[in-house]
Amino acid sequence: MSAISLEKLTKVFSTGVRALDGLDLDVSDGEFVVLVGPSGCGKTTALRMVAGLETITAGTVRFGGTVVNHVSPRQRDVAMVFQNYSLYPHLTVAENIGFALTNKKIPKAERDRRVLIAAATLGLSTLLNRKPAHLSGGQRQRVAMGRAIVREPSVFLMDEPLSNLDAKLRVQMRSEVLRVHREIGAATLYVTHDQVEAMTMGDRVAVLHDGVLQQYATPRDLYERPASLFVAGFIGSPEMNLYEASVSDGELVLGSQRLALGGAEAVLASHRGRKVIAGIRPEDLRLDTGARQAEHADGSPEHPDGPERPDGPERTGRAGAGALAADVRVVERLGSETHVFFSIDAPAAGGEAEAGLLAGHAHNGVARLDPRSAIHPGQRVTFRVDPGRMHFFDPDTTAAIR
Amino acid sequence: MSAPTLAPQAQQPPAELRRETRRERRRRERLEERDATIPVELYGLKRGTISVLTACCVLFALFILAPVVWVIINSTKNQANIFQSFGFWFASPFEFFHTFANLFRDVDGDGTYSDWFLNTVLYSVVGGVGATVLAALGGYGFARFEFRGSKLFFGIIIAGLLVPITLVAVPLYLAYAKVHLINSIWGMIFPSMVTPIGIYLMRTYVELSIPRELTDAARIDGASELRIFFRIAVPLMVPGLMTVLLLSVAGTWNNYILPLIIFSNNTLFPVTVGMGLWSQHAGNSGDNNLYPLIVMGGLVTIVPMIALFALLQRYWRGGLLLGSVAN
Repeated sequence: MSAISLEKLTKVFSTGVRALDGLDLDVSDGEFVVLVGPSGCGKTTALRMVAGLETITAGTVRFGGTVVNHVSPRQRDVAMVFQNYSLYPHLTVAENIGFALTNKKIPKAERDRRVLIAAATLGLSTLLNRKPAHLSGGQRQRVAMGRAIVREPSVFLMDEPLSNLDAKLRVQMRSEVLRVHREIGAATLYVTHDQVEAMTMGDRVAVLHDGVLQQYATPRDLYERPASLFVAGFIGSPEMNLYEASVSDGELVLGSQRLALGGAEAVLASHRGRKVIAGIRPEDLRLDTGARQAEHADGSPEHPDGPERPDGPERTGRAGAGALAADVRVVERLGSETHVFFSIDAPAAGGEAEAGLLAGHAHNGVARLDPRSAIHPGQRVTFRVDPGRMHFFDPDTTAAIR
Repeated sequence: MSAPTLAPQAQQPPAELRRETRRERRRRERLEERDATIPVELYGLKRGTISVLTACCVLFALFILAPVVWVIINSTKNQANIFQSFGFWFASPFEFFHTFANLFRDVDGDGTYSDWFLNTVLYSVVGGVGATVLAALGGYGFARFEFRGSKLFFGIIIAGLLVPITLVAVPLYLAYAKVHLINSIWGMIFPSMVTPIGIYLMRTYVELSIPRELTDAARIDGASELRIFFRIAVPLMVPGLMTVLLLSVAGTWNNYILPLIIFSNNTLFPVTVGMGLWSQHAGNSGDNNLYPLIVMGGLVTIVPMIALFALLQRYWRGGLLLGSVAN
């Protein structure tokens, strides 16, 4: 039986805003589930409804099979970590952690024992007599965690608990939170807008967009088999390149270029002769060194904007099946890898491709390449693409074509 | 509740853990305030403008303080000198202690000042504390709970601010007569416990200084609403409550109309009404030496208020600043 089970959970605020629309979600015992989505997607509302801090417009919340829709937060016995920690400023760390136990009228000796254990788990033992004002951000975050774990809850809710920490501490606390989760083994619902947090922490991840669940799957599935255009663009950094394309004669037409579909043709059988949205992960673009050298041998100009540059189709014809010609605009060398921002003449349809255009940059795609790639802005290159690793979406329903 | 000393290894707490003494805290706060103050040179005003503004401030301070100075000086004089000598300087004989002693005697059959003073203290303290408690409960309730008609009720309370007591004097007297509150101390204390401005202040204070997430967190932690109020909200409302306490105590302390309406028994008078009676009698005959008593009575009446303001000033200022400074 699932520890938390949401069924058709819906929230409509009195202003008429539909914050959450028919959310179905199951969290098993001991599972760590991440609710992720851009701000305003309804994820925090969903969490507050599970906690009992928000009334439920429609649908049910069940804990271990029992409907708790009308149970007050006091009686739901959930623990929650808030985004801004919400520590009681006038109480010491020990009193903050022990507050829930005092409310339950647990005897002082037992309470002190449990507070000490929780503090030790989180490395707070030396700070027990301090007030929150005299703690660093990371320490406050730990106290907020301590306040939740001391109750040994069966349901653990976290609302962007790491978003107020600096980048380095956030990465540290990620593994800390997971360690604590494994120790207490409670079903956890974790809300974040950070897809990296979602991917690294969640056993399963639910992606929300505009109050609607897009996909609920393991991080790996989300990444490799995104169910919708939104998930494809949201999960992954840098984002997936998405282009408007069409299918004709077993080839994918991307702007003026044509890509042989090969094995992927069967998938697109239903869309033969129609428009699709094609997605390519940045790491699925490989630099075709042979083609580039051929270019040099040709004596073609290095700068793509030169007026004498022959145009696309001719070139792609030469690059062959599964190859895309592109103009390199910006090269970002991150050390371990290199991000190459390029432009191709296909129209962008979301993801990094569109983001680049929206930001006023001249690029509409990004490739993640080996750091040793000798590549520089202004170059014209050919990328190798395995059509079997591409993602296709229906432009009308935005659902994945599989 | 004292902090549980849970950490056994913390025998010798490090310097940053040691509690500041009161004196150290005062000193730190004073220095912090000095650091936070923008020096006048940086206001971007011309030197001449600053001088003119300073002169205006000094004049205004003189205008406010002159009566106080006059009262202090004239409390040392006899009746003749109050009228004949220069008001802003001393004149012999020095009658201060003699007059002060007379405050405890029934000089002309109206009653003694000391009784009235104790009445004023009683009405102000009980009324002020009651007003603060009610303002805390009401303000918190309006700030944190939405209930049917909450906006309407709050509107009615605020509208109460606009009704002057002189307008309701007659109906109030008639109503009091029906419920036997004429010549009863409760007739004075109950109305003093109702402060629309206090409820309004506390509502704003709670909204600004107690984040909703904090009360949400306490709810999740399994605290009852009453426990959240007393254990979480009230400690954080203290500066605001001090402001309301000060306002309501001062309001009752200075109240004249209400006790004038409801009291006919001289022994129940507060200072304001008692001295009003003296003032009438002093004007009527003029030979009963009541003027020195009135001056002395005025002095004794303002001293506790000045002391209270000085004592609670820290909270008072903090309370007023709160809305403008986030966090």
